[in-house]
Amino acid sequence: MKVYDGSQTEQESVGQPERKKVGIAEYAVTTDEAVLTTSGLGSCIGVALYDPDSNTAGLVHVMLPRHDEGEGARAKFADTGVEVLLEEMERAGAQRRSLEAKIAGGSDMLDFSENDSSIGSRNANTVRETLAANDIPILGEDIGGDYGRSLRLEAATGDLVVKSASQGTATL
Amino acid sequence: MKVDIQSLGTFNQLAHEGAEQATQSLAQMTGIDAVVDVTKITLLNRDDVGEELAGQDFVGVQFDFEGALDGDTVLVFESDSVGPITEALVPGGADGEMAQSSVEEIGNIMMSGFIDGWADYLGTTIEHSPPEYIEATGADVLPPAPTVADQPQVFVFKSQIEWVGESLNFYIYMLPEYDTLAELMTDHAEPGGDAIPIDKLSVFNEMTTSGTEQAAENVEMMTGIPTEAEVTQISFAPIEDVPKQVGDDTYVGTVVEFTGVPSGYLLVLFDEVSAQNVAEALMPTEPDGEGLTEQHKAAIEELGNIMTSGFVDGWANVLQTSVDHTPPQLVHDIGQAIVDPLAAQVGQHQEHSFIIESEMRTDEIEFSSEIHALPDEKELRQALQELEVDRADQTDADVEQIF
Repeated sequence: MKVYDGSQTEQESVGQPERKKVGIAEYAVTTDEAVLTTSGLGSCIGVALYDPDSNTAGLVHVMLPRHDEGEGARAKFADTGVEVLLEEMERAGAQRRSLEAKIAGGSDMLDFSENDSSIGSRNANTVRETLAANDIPILGEDIGGDYGRSLRLEAATGDLVVKSASQGTATL
Repeated sequence: MKVDIQSLGTFNQLAHEGAEQATQSLAQMTGIDAVVDVTKITLLNRDDVGEELAGQDFVGVQFDFEGALDGDTVLVFESDSVGPITEALVPGGADGEMAQSSVEEIGNIMMSGFIDGWADYLGTTIEHSPPEYIEATGADVLPPAPTVADQPQVFVFKSQIEWVGESLNFYIYMLPEYDTLAELMTDHAEPGGDAIPIDKLSVFNEMTTSGTEQAAENVEMMTGIPTEAEVTQISFAPIEDVPKQVGDDTYVGTVVEFTGVPSGYLLVLFDEVSAQNVAEALMPTEPDGEGLTEQHKAAIEELGNIMTSGFVDGWANVLQTSVDHTPPQLVHDIGQAIVDPLAAQVGQHQEHSFIIESEMRTDEIEFSSEIHALPDEKELRQALQELEVDRADQTDADVEQIF
């Protein structure tokens, strides 16, 4: 399996299963039929991109809405996180015009903000805007609510399996 | 010694680079696919170092190192992991000496990577001794924490590395000697930056300890179950690593936002079994229904409130300021998902975060609870700057005056 991750190192892994864990503010792209997972999304969002033609799949776990409002890795923010994933997908052989997105997370489970909209919904808005600006359609989403989610992106099919403690499992 | 926020960030990055390097070396040599889960710098009482390892058997390797930094470091993993690790190196597996040499080999590969990662980052050289095989239960597997006159607390650098697909963890502990660490921290501090004198951080640790003791006492009063406050520590980690500190298990508990100097968030978390047990101890009658009922949750909410008040009062008292908090919000979810919105809130203004962690346990019933606080970094610094160190002596008396 070829895995391109945030550290820009290419790893050859041996044996089964081909499973790659994506942490907060991290991303991974696979051109084989690996399973990309990320867990514990509260207000964070998991953005899955899939190119059925080249069978390239990628997942990024973003935490905050905009890069210009903070410091840190590009994958930490919704706008630059989508962009960095897009770039890596293209580098791995995906065609931008055939990319499809599925997104999940962005819950409002703990919202103490009195006036502003919650981080979860701001994250979701920024992800949607950035995908729209790049003409990438969103084929499925599971956003909001007041519960956490864990994700599994099956690169063989592009299925995004969303699991939560209270709502069971759904496939986007 | 002064601890500058910038240099803590640098040192955290350093520890992270080392752990990454160790993981890459492991992948190259053995094909084992592993990821660095958590890297943090923790300030805690030397007697509490490795408390989280209690009750488990470990094997691993130990080195000492010298150069830009002096100290000891270990790589350890649960004894149960020896089988899969040996298997990865010697197909078909092996026992006895062969298993031990597999452990040494893995240890050597990873720790050379770890120390090289540090040295590269610092642009200097760090020499290390040959690996020494170690085998022990709990914290005994760690080298003794360095002793510094009049300084009960030590800095420990910890990384947890997960072997993907095997649910095995490697733990790297590094215990630097005070003098070289202080020197390096000074070298990496920004002139006129955000330095906190270390004695104040220690006082802060004392405050959280007394806060935890007060919270434990409140639990005991409410439940009648003798409850002990255990480890208290202050850690420092990049904001994106904060949710990982809690992990993927499901927790029940309460969250409040506190306001004052500092402001921030405070979580009281119980694992599900603990939540059920402790809630039942509070209920006058048997619960209606199985599992975690609404009655359980109401009891947890009440308990969370009492613990929060105890903790926050202990704090406010030492700071001689007032710290208010919102009513508790009940949470029941994946631990990491509970913490993530709070880390995101705090992360809007800062790249790293202090995390205050306390634990309490009881022997009588299976029950443990964790308190996590995420204070605003700037305000915490301000609070510490305004704090007269000798005020810490008043903590005990004042806490008792309140209750």
